Amino acid sequence: MWQRRDAGAFRAWKSIDPASPEGREARDLLAAADVHYRQGIELFEGGDARASREALSAGAGIAPIDPALYLPLAQVYRERGLDESAAKYYHKLIAALPDSEHARTAREQLDQLGPGLGELFDPPAESRAESASLADPLPLSLIVVGAALLVATLLFLFRRRLAPGTSLRKLIEQSPELHSAIAYLIGSLRHELLKHRVGAVSDVLSGLGSRRASLDQLAFLSDRLYGGVPLIDAWAAHLSAFTRALGHRLNLQRDREFRNAGRAIQAIIALQPQLARYDPKALDRLARAHRQLKGFDKHLARLQSRLVRTAVDDALLDQVIDEVRGEYAVSSVALDQLDRDPVDEVVQIEVPRVDLVLILKNILRNAIMAVARDEGDRRVLISTRVDLEPTGEEVVRLSVRDSGSRALTTETIQARDVGSGLGLVTTAIKRYGGAIEVRPASNGYTKEVTVNFFRVFEDED
Amino acid sequence: MRKLLVIEDGNEYEEFARLFLSDSFEIRAAHSAAEALALLAEAPADGLLVDLRFDRSVESDLVGDIEETAERLFAGERTSAIRYLRDNQGTLALAALREAGYDQPAVFVHDFTPRRLANLRRLYGDVRAVPSFDAGSIRQALEEEG
Repeated sequence: MWQRRDAGAFRAWKSIDPASPEGREARDLLAAADVHYRQGIELFEGGDARASREALSAGAGIAPIDPALYLPLAQVYRERGLDESAAKYYHKLIAALPDSEHARTAREQLDQLGPGLGELFDPPAESRAESASLADPLPLSLIVVGAALLVATLLFLFRRRLAPGTSLRKLIEQSPELHSAIAYLIGSLRHELLKHRVGAVSDVLSGLGSRRASLDQLAFLSDRLYGGVPLIDAWAAHLSAFTRALGHRLNLQRDREFRNAGRAIQAIIALQPQLARYDPKALDRLARAHRQLKGFDKHLARLQSRLVRTAVDDALLDQVIDEVRGEYAVSSVALDQLDRDPVDEVVQIEVPRVDLVLILKNILRNAIMAVARDEGDRRVLISTRVDLEPTGEEVVRLSVRDSGSRALTTETIQARDVGSGLGLVTTAIKRYGGAIEVRPASNGYTKEVTVNFFRVFEDED
Repeated sequence: MRKLLVIEDGNEYEEFARLFLSDSFEIRAAHSAAEALALLAEAPADGLLVDLRFDRSVESDLVGDIEETAERLFAGERTSAIRYLRDNQGTLALAALREAGYDQPAVFVHDFTPRRLANLRRLYGDVRAVPSFDAGSIRQALEEEG
């Protein structure tokens, strides 16, 4: 309905209770559309009519235009000598916001247009009377139109909220198998956008606050926020990466923090023309948007710390051994040795305990069934080791050694040729960012199957 | 004036350093470990400001054996190995510099966990870190005595 350019649509959207989810969403959409509308006007002012039309259409595809924007639009038309179009927009503004300061300016500028244009587009006398009596009770037809607009808007917003998918916070709670991917996505967003672009301008903003920023520093701020890939596109690219990796299960519109961050980025984009004029109010608004994004960065850091972790300790290895020993097929195998080395240092990895136990049980079961085919020594040993990498990271290696003569290679496991389940385990290991490999072993063992995962460091370590 | 060598894949650190640190440091920039080694061979530096992630580096510029890393950490998966080397390239570039005998304080702009920072110090001596682009903290990290 609002796409019919009904100036009342904007009012209807704004009238939805901002404390309600629909009201918040309406404001988000209006803000998003506003960026496009303003860009459209700027592009028109710069003479790029085609890009301007595209930007204005993009805005219209999101939400209705703020009638206040008719004023700059009319002014651009006037500057370009298109007086009739200018007059049209002055009148639209006066009709939509008759008592506003904008309308007063519009009337003044309308009077300065070519002879006759003011009158030509002036509403007829009775229409003026109608517009002057807006404070009077509204006619029934207007109430019906207004109600219909409100219902249409609410339906539109409800449809958006009913879209499938859950918030990132809930997805983290519900889907530990996605944690490895989520950790990477959050890490990239924090590094590329929040650290290098938004975070990097902190000092310039502080300088601006105390009037100490140099012209070079302002250029640096402008480059980080408005140069290269537009900030809004970089943001959209990160959101797309989340959607591509996590699929329909995720709906970032349901995350208040993401919505607020999107709003802050839109605010930064919208401030560009005012910042170019060193408008102090714009600087305040930029500082506020910057603080919001810094807060968003902290929120993401907290989400990262909530990703699932499992302690690799003696209890875990004992559970694996006990559960495998209790299985019927394994319990019938006479072993010379089934042991584990003590865990030297308890470390944590980003794998849910239940999955880690299943992975290790599969490897241990496979080893026991392999030695069961041999007549000689039947020995199996489970152990852990932590290796320091040149990057300062640490890799946790969980190994099962056995004395079986049956050949097994990493390639065989990865090709899923192993009937006893190691091929399937490979898929689970990869899901958590780990790897599995087979190596020859010594000290009475023939081979060693090792699962590697990166250690997760606790902040308080 | 003290000399600072910036090591990064782009030019963001260099721009930042020239804006906020050039009153105390003469700044040069390298975009790979090899370039850093060449610049240090030409003239010494008093400190290093090192980026951690080198997302834009081409494979041939990366320190670290892709095949060996793939074999050792990712069950032969080359793509994962390349991503890992890029994500941690700053530490590996520092390893190359240390191996060549350059022991200047190295500052990373990264919120390393205490354990990882301790590991880096164990491996590479004087390593410092500040969590964000805060000129005061970076300056302090570069200037404080080791």
